[in-house]
Amino acid sequence: MAQAFDAAPVFIRADLRAALNRAHEHQSETGDWLDGLQRLAVMAEARHAWNCEFCQACKDALSPYTVSGAHDHLGALPASWVDVIHRVVTDPGRLSARWYAQAKTDGMVEDEIIEVISIAVQAVVVDCFTAGIGMETPLPLPANSGQPQKQPLRQHRTDAKTGPGWAATIAPEDAGDDFIDFYDNESHFYIRRSLTLVPGETRRLWDLLNNLYMEDPRLYELEGMVRHISRAQMEFLAARASALLGCYY
Amino acid sequence: MRLRVSGQQTGNDYDLDLVMGGDVADSGLPHGGLMNDFVEAVCARDTDRTAQARTVIVETLGEAAMVDAAAMIAAFNAYPRMADATGIPLEDGKAIATLKMRQELDLETINNAAP
Repeated sequence: MAQAFDAAPVFIRADLRAALNRAHEHQSETGDWLDGLQRLAVMAEARHAWNCEFCQACKDALSPYTVSGAHDHLGALPASWVDVIHRVVTDPGRLSARWYAQAKTDGMVEDEIIEVISIAVQAVVVDCFTAGIGMETPLPLPANSGQPQKQPLRQHRTDAKTGPGWAATIAPEDAGDDFIDFYDNESHFYIRRSLTLVPGETRRLWDLLNNLYMEDPRLYELEGMVRHISRAQMEFLAARASALLGCYY
Repeated sequence: MRLRVSGQQTGNDYDLDLVMGGDVADSGLPHGGLMNDFVEAVCARDTDRTAQARTVIVETLGEAAMVDAAAMIAAFNAYPRMADATGIPLEDGKAIATLKMRQELDLETINNAAP
C-alpha cells in the first residue's frame, strides 16, 4: 500500500522516506500513554496552534506569562494539554520549569506531558519538511481505522528520575535491560535523554530524527554518509534554525 | 559548535556571527546565502519565500541537496523544542568547549528559559 511520503513531489532517499512514513503512520496508533485518537487530536492541535491569537499575543509580549487570555483550540483536548501543545509549537524558547509544573498541577500526568511534547514536535518536524520540499502541508493525518483500539499500557518507568532538566528522564546508568541499548555508542547526550520517560515514544521519535540528521553527530565530517550538502552547510542550517527558535542548547 | 569543528576539519574559518544574524555574505560558507534564505523562509512559514528559495537551491545545488537541507531544518525544529520543553542544560563538556564561542556570540546575555 502506498504511504504518505511515497507521493512526495521529489525523490527522497529510501531510508529517510521509510522513516517519515513510519512516523506518519504511527500517529494514529496506540502510544505508550495516549491512544490513537488522542495522538491524532494532539497532532491536529499542534497544527492549529499557529492560528491561535493568544499564542501570537504571548509571542509578541516581553514575557509570555504576563498575557491573559485563552488559547483558540479545536475542542478535543483538555485545556492543560492545549497549553502544552501550543507553547511547544509557537514559543519554545521561553518554556520554563514553572510552565512544566503548571501542566502537572492542572492534571496532566508527567508521562502524558512527554508523549504530548513528542507528538507536537513531530507535527512541526513533518510540516517543516513537507513545506520545505514543496509537498502538501499540512500532510493529511493518517486515517484512524475506526476499529476499537488497544488501550495504551500507561506504565510509568520507575527507573526515571528528575534531571538533568526539569523533566524526569532515564539516565544511562539507571536504564534497565530493555532500554540500555538506546544509549549504545556512547550516545548519552542530554538531548537524547530528554524524552526518555516514555521509552517507546522516544525510540520512535529518534528513529525519525536520526534519518533526518544523522545517527552519530560526533562524526567530524560525513565520513561515508551520503548527503548532498556539506557538513558545514548542515551545521549552519542546524545552528540557524535553533537560533531562529531562540534556543541556544 | 559543530559548524566550527567542521571548519577546523576542512581548513575553513567560518564567521560564526552568521548563525545569529544570518548575514552570510562574507562568512566563507559555500552557498550560505541560499541556505539562509531557505531556513529563514521555512521557519517563518512563508510559503512563497520557501518556494522561491527551494527553486534556487534546486537550480544551483540540485534536488537532493534541497531535500537534505529541508531534512536538516526539520530536525532542528525538533531538538530545540525537546531541549526547551524539558529544561535540558548544556553538558559540562560542551559548556567548556563552547565557552569562547558563546562569548563571541554574546549568548550569555540571553536569558533563555529561566525557571
